[in-house]
Amino acid sequence: MPNALEVQGLTKSYGKKLACDHVSFTIGEGEIFGLMGMNGAGKTTILRMLATLLRPDEGDAIIAGHSIVKEPDKVRANICYLPDEAGAYRSMTGRNYLRFIAGLYFEDPKAQKECVLRGEEICGLGNALSFKINTYSRGMIRKLVLARTVMTKPRLAILDEPTSGLDVLNSLDIRKSIRRCADEYGTAFLLSSHHMQEVQTTADRGAIMKDGHFLAEGTPAELLERYQANTLEEVFERAVKGV
Amino acid sequence: MMHLLKKELSELLTKQMLISLIVSVAVMFTLGFAMRTAVNTEDLTGDTIRLIDVDRMDFTQKVVERLEEKGYEVIDGVTFEKGMENDGWKNAVEIPAGLTDALLIRHEPAELISHTSLTTVSIMTVSMGNNTGSDAVATAIREELTAELFGSDYDYLNSPVTVSPRTYANGKSADADPSMIVSSVAMYDMFMPLVLFLLVVLTSQTIIGAIAIEKTDKTLETLLSAPVPRSRIIGAKMLAALIVALIYAAVYGIGFVGFMLFTVSSGVDMNNMNVSGAFTSMASAYKAVQDLGLEITGIGWLGVIAQLLLTLGISLTASIILGGLVEDAKGAQTASMPILFCTMFPYILTMVSDIRSMELGTRMLLYAVPFTHTFIATSCMHFHDYATFWGGLAYQAVFLIVVTAFALKLYSSDLLFVNSRTHRLRAKRKAQE
Repeated sequence: MPNALEVQGLTKSYGKKLACDHVSFTIGEGEIFGLMGMNGAGKTTILRMLATLLRPDEGDAIIAGHSIVKEPDKVRANICYLPDEAGAYRSMTGRNYLRFIAGLYFEDPKAQKECVLRGEEICGLGNALSFKINTYSRGMIRKLVLARTVMTKPRLAILDEPTSGLDVLNSLDIRKSIRRCADEYGTAFLLSSHHMQEVQTTADRGAIMKDGHFLAEGTPAELLERYQANTLEEVFERAVKGV
Repeated sequence: MMHLLKKELSELLTKQMLISLIVSVAVMFTLGFAMRTAVNTEDLTGDTIRLIDVDRMDFTQKVVERLEEKGYEVIDGVTFEKGMENDGWKNAVEIPAGLTDALLIRHEPAELISHTSLTTVSIMTVSMGNNTGSDAVATAIREELTAELFGSDYDYLNSPVTVSPRTYANGKSADADPSMIVSSVAMYDMFMPLVLFLLVVLTSQTIIGAIAIEKTDKTLETLLSAPVPRSRIIGAKMLAALIVALIYAAVYGIGFVGFMLFTVSSGVDMNNMNVSGAFTSMASAYKAVQDLGLEITGIGWLGVIAQLLLTLGISLTASIILGGLVEDAKGAQTASMPILFCTMFPYILTMVSDIRSMELGTRMLLYAVPFTHTFIATSCMHFHDYATFWGGLAYQAVFLIVVTAFALKLYSSDLLFVNSRTHRLRAKRKAQE
């Protein structure tokens, strides 16, 4: 499987605080990679560097053959970033929001239209797409912003806590959408999460982070075996506590 | 660019904003109308005199007849207290007992009593009511006295000397009253800064608030990670805010005209407020303004508009920078303070004094604030101070380039996100301590 993302020694600090310390990993096309870690572990810093919002102090990452340091513009054409608890423009209708995002990625009206149709289908909001976003529930907004993230068929979708604050059913819907888009479009996913269950059921591979380092990396099965655990929660506890 | 601009406009041009604009215009028109109504209620048109003739002599009767010949409607009264109580009088002129004796027999000056009832302290009520009445009565007494003492052949004694004003400006002279010219020219010098002040304050708050919401909703992160050049994102934000600012300018301009039309149509002499007097005397002052070279030419107006646009550009770009640095919508409320102060000080100073005649140090300090140049733009044009004007325009252009470059750098750097992160880390560390 060719790599959608190759991270090489990515490093970032905020003043004296080292948020990301020479992190390296790869994600193949259509693969879902889960980043697990406590608050302040450095997950969001990695995601923001890959989304070209932060510039790394050291190292680089290659997305679809382009360097995030040297070619951020080309990288942006191949990624889609969903920030933690991201909202949408409240005065727009759901459909107009999808149209707006499609317009940022495609100049050709036909491609825009196809993209919006894809977004409508992925979010599954139906008639609610004609309503203004300020009337949406949290779950509806999350489905909409996830749809706009994947409807452009990016090589890499970067999702920061995609299901945080959602109820069980909405979380399940979101996870199914991620899996489906990875399988159908070949989009690679890098998602951060506090929910070990989410990573265990959704991700093909994952890594546990602490203080800007990767403590462990592998498929859920590999991690369970390595730490002699029954769940990823136990793996996480043992990895973080060094048990 | 159009795609982004459309989105920015849809965010800024909300129903609430349009409603507030419509209400603003309606309020300004209503205020103008209300002022006219208030003025009419107060009988301030100057053709009615409430007169209490206590002296009741032939001489004072002739004075009344003289006033009526001049077109005044003289309402007779017994005492001011009764007039207030029965007819709601606000003012009156009293000819006290003994006035005729003093003037005609003892040849001594006499006194008139000007009564005013205060029910409010509005400028219009206090300053405009009674003066016209007492002045007219005093003039009528002087004329009648001249006729009594010297006969009609000596009418010229009523005005033995007239004053012919001559005003100089821009190395030219015109036979015109300087106050008339000043008020005519001052209308532009007051209106432009007022509009600019409102625009800068309103638009800076709007754009800082809009960016703060984008940060809170994380839509800014989405936008900045999209394959769109940062210059386009900032450009669209600026252009959209500029369009909104121009809509505000147009609406406030219409509102101002409506306000002036109503108040002026009431015939009120508002010289004390330095606005309407200028408006009403504009036609007669026009020639003098032209003769003195005080008129602003078409190119001059283009220059003034260019300065206005540059100032708005600077203010909007600075707002985009400040908006990018704020943490949330709450922070947006205080973030506009630097812009507010930089606008308020030159605005107030241009209202109360001539900046160009200040000490060099103070002047340079004020000129360093780019908004100052637009506040004095029309004044510079009126008095042909082209060096200050074009120098200011060039300074503003350079300033705009610098702040735009800074905005681009900010939106292409970590600062936009690191700022809030370090802030949080610092707060967290502090909480732990």
